[in-house]
Amino acid sequence: MLRSYLPLLILLGISAAQAVGMVVVSQVLSPTKWTWVKASPYESGIDPLGSTRERFSVKFYVVAILFIVFDVETVFLIPWAVVMREVGVAGFVAAAMFIFILTVGLIYEWRKGALEWD
Amino acid sequence: MDFYRSHWVLTFLVFAPLIGAVVALVLPAARARWVALWTGVIELLVATPLFWTFEPVGAAMQNEVALPWIPNWGIYYRLGLDGISLFMVLLTALLLPLMVLGSWTYIKDRERVFYAMLLALTTGVMGVFVALDMFLFYVFWEMMLIPMYFLIGVWGGKDRIYAAVKFFLYTAAGSLLMLVGILYLFSRYQALTGESSFAYGDFLSLPLTSGEQAWLFAAFAIAFAIKVPVFPLHTWLPAAHVQAPTAGSVILAGVLLKMGTYGFLRFALPLFPGAASADTTVLLFMVLGLIGIIYTAMVAAVQPNAKRLVAYTSVAHLGFAVLGIFALNVQGIQGALILMIAHGVSTPMLFFLLGMLYERTHSYEIEDFGGLAASIPIFALMLVFAALASIGLPGTGGFVSEFLVLIGTFRVQPWIAFIAASGVIFAAFYMLPMVQRTVFNSLTRPANRAIPDLCGREIALLVPLVAIILWLGIYPRPILERMEPSVGRLIERVETSRFVSTPGEAVVASSASSSDEGIRE
Amino acid sequence: MTLDFASQADYLLALLPEIVLSLWAMLVLMVDVFQKGNRVEASRPVVAWLSLAGLVVTAAANGWLLTIEEAAVTGMVAVDSFRVFVNFIVLIAAALAILISIGYLDRRGINRGEFYALLLFATVGMMLLGAARDLILLFLALELMSVALYVLVGFDRRDPRSSEGALKYFLLGSFSSGFLLYGIALVFGSARSTNLSAIVPLLPSLQESPMFLIGAGLLLVGLAFKVAVMPFHVWTPDAYDGAPTPVTALMATGVKAAAFAAFIRVFAVGFAGIYNEWSVVLSWLALLTMFGANLIALTQGSVKRMLAYSSIAHAGYLLVAVLAANAYGAAAFLFYLLVYTLMTAGAFGIVIANSRGANELNKLDDYAGFGWREPLLGAVFSIFLLSLAGFPLTGGFIGKLYILRSSLEAGNVELAVSLVLASVISYFYYLRVVVVMYMRPAPAEEANRTVLLTGPGQLAMSVSAVAVLALFFVPGWVLDVAQRSVASLFTVPGTFFGLGP
Repeated sequence: MLRSYLPLLILLGISAAQAVGMVVVSQVLSPTKWTWVKASPYESGIDPLGSTRERFSVKFYVVAILFIVFDVETVFLIPWAVVMREVGVAGFVAAAMFIFILTVGLIYEWRKGALEWD
Repeated sequence: MDFYRSHWVLTFLVFAPLIGAVVALVLPAARARWVALWTGVIELLVATPLFWTFEPVGAAMQNEVALPWIPNWGIYYRLGLDGISLFMVLLTALLLPLMVLGSWTYIKDRERVFYAMLLALTTGVMGVFVALDMFLFYVFWEMMLIPMYFLIGVWGGKDRIYAAVKFFLYTAAGSLLMLVGILYLFSRYQALTGESSFAYGDFLSLPLTSGEQAWLFAAFAIAFAIKVPVFPLHTWLPAAHVQAPTAGSVILAGVLLKMGTYGFLRFALPLFPGAASADTTVLLFMVLGLIGIIYTAMVAAVQPNAKRLVAYTSVAHLGFAVLGIFALNVQGIQGALILMIAHGVSTPMLFFLLGMLYERTHSYEIEDFGGLAASIPIFALMLVFAALASIGLPGTGGFVSEFLVLIGTFRVQPWIAFIAASGVIFAAFYMLPMVQRTVFNSLTRPANRAIPDLCGREIALLVPLVAIILWLGIYPRPILERMEPSVGRLIERVETSRFVSTPGEAVVASSASSSDEGIRE
Repeated sequence: MTLDFASQADYLLALLPEIVLSLWAMLVLMVDVFQKGNRVEASRPVVAWLSLAGLVVTAAANGWLLTIEEAAVTGMVAVDSFRVFVNFIVLIAAALAILISIGYLDRRGINRGEFYALLLFATVGMMLLGAARDLILLFLALELMSVALYVLVGFDRRDPRSSEGALKYFLLGSFSSGFLLYGIALVFGSARSTNLSAIVPLLPSLQESPMFLIGAGLLLVGLAFKVAVMPFHVWTPDAYDGAPTPVTALMATGVKAAAFAAFIRVFAVGFAGIYNEWSVVLSWLALLTMFGANLIALTQGSVKRMLAYSSIAHAGYLLVAVLAANAYGAAAFLFYLLVYTLMTAGAFGIVIANSRGANELNKLDDYAGFGWREPLLGAVFSIFLLSLAGFPLTGGFIGKLYILRSSLEAGNVELAVSLVLASVISYFYYLRVVVVMYMRPAPAEEANRTVLLTGPGQLAMSVSAVAVLALFFVPGWVLDVAQRSVASLFTVPGTFFGLGP
């Protein structure tokens, strides 16, 4: 059984070797010359202001979480939409349940004010 | 007299105190001691006729009952009475009202809970003596720990918490191993017959290999030996005695210790006769009993605290009981039983007296007294009597019992009997100086000049004890003849199985053989 | 009614209690967000009572499960009386947690409807865990339960201890989920199925397969984390101590019940064929847990932490029942779990009652004089402690006796004796609380402290205490039910412990 996976393993090996090899080769071959301008965060010449360790407002995280939730929703729903006719009523019910739970979550977030920026 | 033919008398004796406890908790605090007193008096009045209704013929259990309790496990409400338990029941019933009287003015705070605990404790003790279902027995055995623990821990002296915890842990630790033993018997019985039962009678008929007997006997014997207490396991007793309030000391000395010796007679010997009569076991327990007698007598002699001294005398006396039990003959065991009764009245009497003294002077230190005979003559008279009874002067119960024990021991181990006999002299050696320094000598402390002598209530509670001590010493025949059949059967059982059990004899079901190996490891 | 799981709709019926509770949890969430004006406002009491009502309805649905049966014991979801019994225990645990949190949350300023909703979701996870006959469902249930609990532990986010507990629980919990998942993957890799009923017939051939054994070992580690068996317990004291006390109560009771039910299903029933392999490991874990946890509990100065270690020790006792791997063991396990849930949740309720304001007073000394100040709660607490110690007159005694009996029946005499010796150690620290409650005088300022357990909580404690006593005096009925509940468990084809009760 394991033999059938052999091509996969070879593919994995080749791609890993290629990825590592490219980095190593470029490191070895490229000329490296250190300058102040190259070392600065923005090579366009703008000096950074303040500390890089800055706290982000929690609102960004809320938006990020919301995004992930609906992103995953898409991941689930698109395959379902593709095979909707094959999976029939059972599939429809399952998807409906999924959407129902998401809707409840959305209403909760809306009432909690997670959708308002201020 | 139908009541006395059925189990109802036993059921009543076991549960009446519990009902009294509930009533005492509910009524106002001022009533609590009256409730307790009435419960005690009723208990005693109901129990006393048992002495005559008990039929001294045949060794069968009387007043038996078996009502299903947890039928899935074969647990029944089984009670019964025989010549061994009869006197323990009577002793418990006698001490209850006396303890209430002894605490009458001694206990001043949280009276309701105190008397409720005292009554609940009586239920537990009574249950231990009449239970014939091992499960029920174990429940009563453990149940009695909680009220005793509170009696010591809440109303006790300065180091009460230490004493209470030590008491609890010693006893509970010992009895848990016994629980495994009981469960092992249970599973063996089930493997053998396919039925669940915790009945004492069923376990008696269980064939056990000598290996099993040895382990099980050890599990039971440790639990009982802690309770007696047998010599190296006795250290909880002085602590508990000294710290406990008077009523606590009284019931501890009077009946709680007897639960240990009773356990040997009722369970450890008949259930595992092979292991109990093995030469090693007999010798071990006799030597331990002997050490208990001599060693604690010596320790008692140097105690500055009168209550601690009396506590040590308990260990010494119970050492005699252990000797008598393991003599495994009629005289020895009857002596042990009489000793249990005699010690159960003389030592409580001493504790009562010390409690009365403490109420007046707030001290147990022998140093603080001297010449009390001049100021409180009745007290002095009573103390001298109780001390002589404790020593075992002819004419008191102590003499009869120790004499019987020594005869019984002499028949099997003359040397041990010989050494033990010196213990009687030791008793005089520690008890008499205490009496002398307390009530005689000269009255050095002015404070002791003005203390009041015993009041009517106190005399009333001591007189029955005096009467019983004298009765035991002068005419013990009615008691002995009631014990005779039960003791005879016990000895017969031990004797017949002494040479019967050989190793690996009774392995019955193949499923049990694996657990067999487990317990032998 | 008979379910054969050929149609998907049958699964909906089989999962009815869980579905009802999930919907109800969403309802609670909706009611909460709609009934208050702004988001910082505390929830109304109705939310708590609504959640309780949800548990009652779920319990009814759960009882209805008894009337249906499965055509074959091959479905992902088990529909048997074992599951129903475990569900009832979990529901009782959840109900007790809700009852003792009424008032408590307000005092800590964390009365948010999400608390109840999350609690219900966690309960759904626990119920599924007890029903899982497929390793994938087991994993899903475990995650559903755990994720809700991670949040609940850190629910008081202003309290650093709560956050610390949540973080530790989360990190180690995810770690253990990883173990579990890897174990499932390896088992799947060797048995080509995650369904236990499909694995059972293959066991004789898998016995030699290292892949399968490693997978089973990893599964064992993953589950051991969740039930907090030593040495996988390190998260427990901090998480239990930091979590809001009702959550601690739920974690110590419901979570443990559910995870142990999974233990029984996977190991005692599913992997019974390799009993010799896993029993060795588990015996050592049980010994370590019983002695280790009891010894550490001795040294604890905080009552809440002491109870945390005590619950670890009880996991050890329950392992002894699992190790019996027979019908007696499973029935003993169910009975003990019921008593354990009542007494442990009750003990945590008393911890709430004896706190002061928003602070939780958990030092042993804070209990000085508690027994005299609060006669009812003091007596109730004493009952719980004695029951935890396994003292006669309490259900804990019958439970322990049952475990001992099953262990002797299975020939594990050493384990039975160890359990007894470990109990002796435990006597000491349970007793110490009673000592402090009754035998130490209370400091002067304690005299007029109020009890911080509201009426419903006090009632729940009293009812639990009466139930603990009743399980001693009249255990017959519950013993019967427990015995009948496990009968179906051991009928899985290929199990060689076909022992009936």
